[in-house]
Amino acid sequence: MTNPGCPIGEDDLHGYVDGGLDAARRRAVEQYLAAHPDQAARVAGWQAADQALREALAWKAQEPVPAALNLAHLVEARLARRRVPWRIAAAVVAAFAIGSASGWMLRGPRPTTGLAAVALEATAAYRVFATDPMHPVEFGPDQEPQLVRWVTRRLGRPVAPPDLSAAGYRLMGGRVLATEDGPSCMFLYENAEGQRIALYVRPMRKRDMNAAMRPLHGNDTTGYTWARDGLGFGLVAGAPLPRLHELSNRARAEMRSGV
Amino acid sequence: MSMLSKLEENIPSLRRYAWTLVRQSSDADDLVQDCLVRALDRLETVRSEADLRPWLFAIMHNLHVSRWRRRRTRPEVAAEEMELAMPPSQPAHAELRLALRGLARLPEDQRQVLLLVAVEGFQYGEVAHLLGIPIGTVMSRLSRARDRLRAHVEGRERPLLRSVK
Repeated sequence: MTNPGCPIGEDDLHGYVDGGLDAARRRAVEQYLAAHPDQAARVAGWQAADQALREALAWKAQEPVPAALNLAHLVEARLARRRVPWRIAAAVVAAFAIGSASGWMLRGPRPTTGLAAVALEATAAYRVFATDPMHPVEFGPDQEPQLVRWVTRRLGRPVAPPDLSAAGYRLMGGRVLATEDGPSCMFLYENAEGQRIALYVRPMRKRDMNAAMRPLHGNDTTGYTWARDGLGFGLVAGAPLPRLHELSNRARAEMRSGV
Repeated sequence: MSMLSKLEENIPSLRRYAWTLVRQSSDADDLVQDCLVRALDRLETVRSEADLRPWLFAIMHNLHVSRWRRRRTRPEVAAEEMELAMPPSQPAHAELRLALRGLARLPEDQRQVLLLVAVEGFQYGEVAHLLGIPIGTVMSRLSRARDRLRAHVEGRERPLLRSVK
């Protein structure tokens, strides 16, 4: 900080108290203090006062941390805030917990974006709604025009459910959902065996505006995600279906020609 | 060690610093909570673990400045509150009580510098950066704070006690 020849100043005295001097400067300060009893008393007084302050405040840092400041709770609350509505939030939290809690905690809570966000949200939507026996969709198959108008208006661009009947899946209906980037939607299909698949659609922001199809792996879900022209898609099924890739290709082709 | 557990490690000292800033337990924990929520939002912007602690204290300082500063308490009241808040198990050394009383009587800008250096162990450059002031200002505030606190602990400046007698 200063060379050993320099006269001793206030900064050196503080540096001495706070242990911020190199050995040579430290010796110089010690010599100076030996020759200046008034300054020596001052420095000793600072040290004593600092020490009293540290002791007087030590208990505060040793108190148990209150629950309101529990980091795990705050992380959870933050996730819930970022994903309205609560049902989606709960599903996402559950997905994290079931999936890779430890890995995620160790990496820190980075925001999920791009196709990874699509995969997460599509999986959550499938978990919550496709398994709902009573009310999985807002608009049923007989209300397809209303459904198309609704999702088109909310997503801000023409979006319609592809026809997957040739592959054995009939449209059950769909609904608008929420992401932190705005509205998304989900179309639900069912085959003759009662197996359901969800096709999740959301506008992309910045990342992955166009992205090749890639598989999606949840603990109890499988599927594919892809993006085209600023729309992200996730096709999710509850079990590894033999023709899921083919079905995803079909949905992708249909969406392209339909939009 | 992950950033998240490093963040958790800092909570006790954030609570201590908040308590000395706000001098009221529930307000102090509210301040810490706000600070943690903000930190979680931007944790990915912290480049290294060494940057984390000064960064956290800077967030808390800025929150305090923008939202909490208006709730000033009179120093005498604050000093008594601090003493009352000390747990009964704390040895009632006269010197410790005097130190707390002296701390409460310091102007806020001096108190912050002294706490960050003497209690929280920050380097002068870190304190300057964290408070957004030149390092020369850090040093002059530290000098004034230490001289006043020393006078108080050594009993040369005790208006509160004198008025009680």
